[in-house]
Amino acid sequence: MEEQDYIQFEAFLAGNLSKDDLVAFNDRLHSDAQFKEAFEIFKDLNSNLEHQIANEREIFDFKANLDVISSQHFNAIHDEDIIIKPNPKSNFYKYAVAASVVILLGFFVFNQFGGPKYEEYNNFDPISLTVRSTDNTNFSKAEQSFNNKNYEEAIRAFNAILEDDFTNLEIQLYKGIALVETNQFEEADIVLNKIMNGNTAYRNKAKWILALSYLKQDNTSESIKILKTIPKGTEDYVSAQKLLMELD
Amino acid sequence: MSEKKLHDDQKYIDGLAENNTFIIKAIYEKFAPKIINYIKQNSGDAYDAQDVIQETIITIYNQAKQNKLQLTCPFDAYFFLLCKRKWLNQLKKSNRKEVTIDDDVLYKDDDAQVLSFETSIFEHKQALFDEVFLQLGDACKDLLKATFKIKSMEDVAKSLNITYAYARKKKSLCIGQLTKLVQASPKFNRLNY
Repeated sequence: MEEQDYIQFEAFLAGNLSKDDLVAFNDRLHSDAQFKEAFEIFKDLNSNLEHQIANEREIFDFKANLDVISSQHFNAIHDEDIIIKPNPKSNFYKYAVAASVVILLGFFVFNQFGGPKYEEYNNFDPISLTVRSTDNTNFSKAEQSFNNKNYEEAIRAFNAILEDDFTNLEIQLYKGIALVETNQFEEADIVLNKIMNGNTAYRNKAKWILALSYLKQDNTSESIKILKTIPKGTEDYVSAQKLLMELD
Repeated sequence: MSEKKLHDDQKYIDGLAENNTFIIKAIYEKFAPKIINYIKQNSGDAYDAQDVIQETIITIYNQAKQNKLQLTCPFDAYFFLLCKRKWLNQLKKSNRKEVTIDDDVLYKDDDAQVLSFETSIFEHKQALFDEVFLQLGDACKDLLKATFKIKSMEDVAKSLNITYAYARKKKSLCIGQLTKLVQASPKFNRLNY
């Protein structure tokens, strides 16, 4: 196709062809197969660009929402599978169970002294990033460092992942945790607030982490304020209520 | 296709396009179990099923958002065929075990075959479009991004410090360049143009 043809395609799609040009254009669509093929591709490209660029934010929200719903649906299934036949891919659930036991013990031991401490609540479940991205070294580095509580290293790996996929909300959330762990509160605030104000299912998790961040900074009133916004039925509601009682 | 009556299950397509959490959950509850079963019986596990389902839903979403999806068959059949095809393609690529079960007999529904095929083509198109976009020069990339973000070509021209007429012409030519890249790709013949 000539330059002029593409200019015509664009004018047609924008509704900018004169009456005569429009007739000629339609005639050519019928009689010239190559012209028609090029136009169909041009039209689809135009529509795809419009969707991907203009709906960038919506697509981002949709994917994040889908991610959460998918995990919620499949976690129960994966758990079942592990009970039936142990799956080497998902050892991390065993660690998760072990970690939960440690958390419970932690509550009983620490709660005997004074007010609540960040360290009583920061027993984050191990993360699992490598199941889906087996070949990516950044993902495995991030997962290992995070789970070994080497948060500085984890942040570097998260940043490397986010460079390619800056809309990855799950990674942003974990990065938020790592930032709080390493006392980089200002940056944590920015990351977590962004997730909290988004329209995705990660927002309540982000609230919980931010509340813990304020707890760590001894800012009890801000922590309480955020804890009160964590809705019933969400993953961290029970912990949030417990912390609220201790803070009040 | 336009004369055919829309199926009631169009609600799932519209719900996806609206990012309706209730509808997305319903899709998982109602339609995922059959796909998980199928994949487990054909050399896969629940993790594979999770990925296949998620990728398929994203494709349907993208197609629905561009108003290119009118469901004239049950969602169940359409969705199953899509997930199945995706899984079989992955198996083929990774050379895993031979597939034992062929469920095509389950769905004699011609519309489901046609629509799921169209969605697969749509997915191939989008993948190739994304690929060729990366081959564009920075000037074209920036212009196209600005064009579709800002909408008004006058404002686009102003933001890039070029004239309105030049911006319009350049936009046409940049998409024209993409068109040529698409046609020159070895993957072009599976796009059914």
